[in-house]
Amino acid sequence: MIIVNYVVAVLLLVLGLYAVCTQKNLIKVVLGLGIIDYGINLLIVSVGFNDGGTAPIFTISDLLNGISSNFFVDPVPQALTLTSIVIGACVDAMALALVIMIYRKYKTVNADEVRRIRG
Amino acid sequence: MISVQHFPVIAVMGLFLCAFLVEIFGAKNKFIRNTIVLIAAAGAFALIASLIKPVLLNGEIISYWMGNWEPVSGYAIGIGYEIDALNMFFALLVVTTILLAAIYSIKYMARDHHLGHYYTLFLMLSGSVLGLVLTGDIFNMFVMIEIMTFASVALTAFRNNKFGALEAGFKYLIIGSIGSSMTLAGIALLYAQCHTLNMAQISAALTNSLTPTTVLAFALMFAGFGVKSYIVPFHAPAAEAYMTAPTSISMVFSGMVNKAGVYGMIRLVYVIFRAMDLAPLQLILATFGTVTMFIGVTMALAQHDFKRLLAFHSISQIGYVITAIGLGTVLGLEAGLFHAMNHTLFKGLLFLTAGAVLYAAGTTDLDKLGGLSKKMPKTTVCFLIGAFSISGLPPFNGFASKWMIYQATYEKAATTGNFAYAFVTIVALVVSVMTLASFIKVTQAVFFGQLPENLKDVREVPLLMRVPMWIMSVLCVLSGVFYNVVEKYLLTPAANAAFNVTNYIDKMMGDGTAAAAGVTNITVDGATLSLWNPILWLVLFAIVLIAVCIVVLTGENTRGRVLAKTENDSEDGKYATFFGGEKSTHSHVAGSDLFWGFKHDFKGYFKFIQGMHSGVVSDYALWAVVATALIVVLMFVFVH
Amino acid sequence: METITTILTNAFHVLVFPGLLFAAVVGLLLAGLDRKLLARMQRRIGPPLLQPFYDFFKLMGKETIIPHEANRKAFLIAPVLGFVSLIVMMLFIPIFGYSPFSTNADLIVILYLLTIPAVALIVGGSASGSPYAGIGISREMVTMMAYELPLVIVLLTVAKKVGGDELVFSMQKIGDWQAMNGLLISHWSLIPAAIAFLLVIPAEVGTQPFDVAEAETEICEGPLVEYSGAPLAMFKLNTAIKMFVMTALFTFLFLGGIDTGIIALNALIFVAICAVVTVLCMTLIHAITARLKIEHLFKFYWTFVSALAAISLILVWLGL
Repeated sequence: MIIVNYVVAVLLLVLGLYAVCTQKNLIKVVLGLGIIDYGINLLIVSVGFNDGGTAPIFTISDLLNGISSNFFVDPVPQALTLTSIVIGACVDAMALALVIMIYRKYKTVNADEVRRIRG
Repeated sequence: MISVQHFPVIAVMGLFLCAFLVEIFGAKNKFIRNTIVLIAAAGAFALIASLIKPVLLNGEIISYWMGNWEPVSGYAIGIGYEIDALNMFFALLVVTTILLAAIYSIKYMARDHHLGHYYTLFLMLSGSVLGLVLTGDIFNMFVMIEIMTFASVALTAFRNNKFGALEAGFKYLIIGSIGSSMTLAGIALLYAQCHTLNMAQISAALTNSLTPTTVLAFALMFAGFGVKSYIVPFHAPAAEAYMTAPTSISMVFSGMVNKAGVYGMIRLVYVIFRAMDLAPLQLILATFGTVTMFIGVTMALAQHDFKRLLAFHSISQIGYVITAIGLGTVLGLEAGLFHAMNHTLFKGLLFLTAGAVLYAAGTTDLDKLGGLSKKMPKTTVCFLIGAFSISGLPPFNGFASKWMIYQATYEKAATTGNFAYAFVTIVALVVSVMTLASFIKVTQAVFFGQLPENLKDVREVPLLMRVPMWIMSVLCVLSGVFYNVVEKYLLTPAANAAFNVTNYIDKMMGDGTAAAAGVTNITVDGATLSLWNPILWLVLFAIVLIAVCIVVLTGENTRGRVLAKTENDSEDGKYATFFGGEKSTHSHVAGSDLFWGFKHDFKGYFKFIQGMHSGVVSDYALWAVVATALIVVLMFVFVH
Repeated sequence: METITTILTNAFHVLVFPGLLFAAVVGLLLAGLDRKLLARMQRRIGPPLLQPFYDFFKLMGKETIIPHEANRKAFLIAPVLGFVSLIVMMLFIPIFGYSPFSTNADLIVILYLLTIPAVALIVGGSASGSPYAGIGISREMVTMMAYELPLVIVLLTVAKKVGGDELVFSMQKIGDWQAMNGLLISHWSLIPAAIAFLLVIPAEVGTQPFDVAEAETEICEGPLVEYSGAPLAMFKLNTAIKMFVMTALFTFLFLGGIDTGIIALNALIFVAICAVVTVLCMTLIHAITARLKIEHLFKFYWTFVSALAAISLILVWLGL
């Protein structure tokens, strides 16, 4: 249980949320979105950590020879994190594509001016 | 013969596969494209419909492990799909919506370009929502939510030359991503506690062991699914997205996508955490629902755009569903599910008619339309059926489900002695009248009244667009008149499945797991309502006959003479509308001119609430974050 | 054989008593009484008592003119819909111990059915395509939103008072409870609710000071401006029957429980009390007030009348 990981993960999450909620430049908002994702990825990876464990790459024969369960780190959160990283990359790509199109149409990326639909 | 347990996976994978086939083979050729889409939609519908007999009628639960990775020594190691009556209920709604939207899109989108992309995204959206409601694994649910968000955003911004489509897509993406991130954080914390991703196993592991980690996970996932169901205060991007998306997609959004959020919430609260018997949690859900109802309908009364008005009504009706679900009683859950099903039907119908108006007249601005019932009579009839359904007039389906909701809330008030639930009933009834008012406004502004000059050559929409509207109207009427059948075959099994989790757990993890973990069953007997007396109907029909005869046959009949409209008649003739002797001009009472007194009395409130919907993405994100923080605090204080 | 007797009995209930014929005759009589007494209060002679009957039959013989801009089907169906729902509503209100149809949830059915005649008027006005009608229906809808709130609160109060913890919505049980425990109006905690209901009746029926939807001087009869002949006769009949239905509802809910054993005598007493209520809450207020503007009407209902009803609800909820 590495405490620092968890603290930093929560910190990144809060920083990302702060960026999304207060920044006016749309690109900074997308950056904030990315930071939220990285924070959560760090959280997921840290959940699977076992003290003194090694990377979870084994063959069946090694496992059947009776190695204790604390010997390797949990592989499932690593799989979850990989999925989440890919999803984060796609979300960022789509968000940036939308920002580019918004710039072409609205000639600005200031959130206070990109608000034709309101009320 | 393929065993029936493979059907769910085939349905989902089929939709995804056809999504890519459409782009590869159908990018240029219209016929291949339409064929692939219709085969995918119809195939999914047939596969899910064939599951009705085993799951809903016989009460079995179908389970399927991907790659045949069965659980080992009590731990689930594969991704499992599990279909019980609750999944089946939502899956039926999903496939019906997909099929009708596919039929509607063929003609509706015919004037757009890049239709290969459109259908790819449409099939991906469909596949992901179907996967969401069928899966039994919580991370799979998250992945499906993400695919759903993606496809939705791309579809919202599809017509990027339309006013506001891009910014609506962007706001939808930001708020949707915040919601998904909260859900993912919750899943990570749940995994840390239970070391499994299978919902059945988590449910067994969480019996009587709520640690602070799981409470935080619960709160975060609750907020995440709340974002997906668009309850207040997460509702603002939904209002914009429904407005700017192509109408066949708006119908899919309001029919399927927010039901996915509702399904997630039911799964979370009823099955995984089994926390619905805690009184503070019921009050929290009822509060969210009531606020959503009220804000949704009052915002709708102030709108100028047809589709944005419908979007706010969607939000308001989901408020009804969340209130009913939050009551924690059998009648409440059944009422909520029934209203969710009816909402898909009548809101889908209303969006389809809005699409028909947009296709024919080119605008959805309430101030510029008018008198369309003379040119589009069939659309008017469908619209009126949808409008009376949503307002809850008998004998349509909205009446039956709203009645159940009122009965459920007022009974809850009486049995717990808590006055707050009586207040909820009163608000629900007043909101129902305001919904009626809003649709009268749309009827007067769009369909009745005087036709503007520039809309004189509007024609009725093509047949392929009318067929889904007719199908939905018929379903609205049928599910209202035969609500007993709906209750017996659809609602009671689904409510049973939500309250009795033992079968769910046992099927996935092997018999005896639930008992070992100490999960107990609750008896669920069907709720009893008695709305109609059949003999009364017979006599009623007789009265209608007499009354119609009186009205039509007495007096001089001017049928023949009115049909010939000549130039002389239009100005001062006997058949012109009365203007007090002055020359008639185009003086149609349009959308913004109606309900002046109401808007005047609530000036302060409207100024406040419309100012709050400022359109700035950071504001909407701020609401979402504040609401999540509030939910976390509330859960820690009350649920432990 | 059984079904034929049942059908015949139900047909009798629907068509003669207490359905179509009874409701129409008594409704038109009440309307005539209202006009005659109003005239006398204003020191005029006024029309004969049976004037609404003469109006109805005369209108039936006139020509039905449908304007160009109107949607024919909705225009002609609207009065029929209102008529049918009023008759159905009449079947659910017992006449002092005689109730042909009684289910478990009569009050909610009545609440729902009460919206339909107003909606029928609105749809008919909207379908006629006239701008006067457009403004009229807007005002009618706002009036409906205004009086629904106190009406809902009053009905919920009655349900809770009669049922205690169990919530009774059935009219027959309300009648039985009143026969045992005294008239509902004699319980002091329900008097504000009774007053609120009395104030809701003129808005439902559309008499002054709440008839802004049909303001003759401003918008030429509002939704009914393009109607003529048989549909207009039906709308006027609807108004008259609605007068009877609303006063009958008040009489049964708050003054119910009287039962002399003879149906005819019961019916007579019932109609007499309805006439008194009509004079009290409609004619009297009509004679001494002017027409309210729509924003004042809305504010009146959502503040004063709702507060009265809410006081009753809270008192009943506290167990008094």
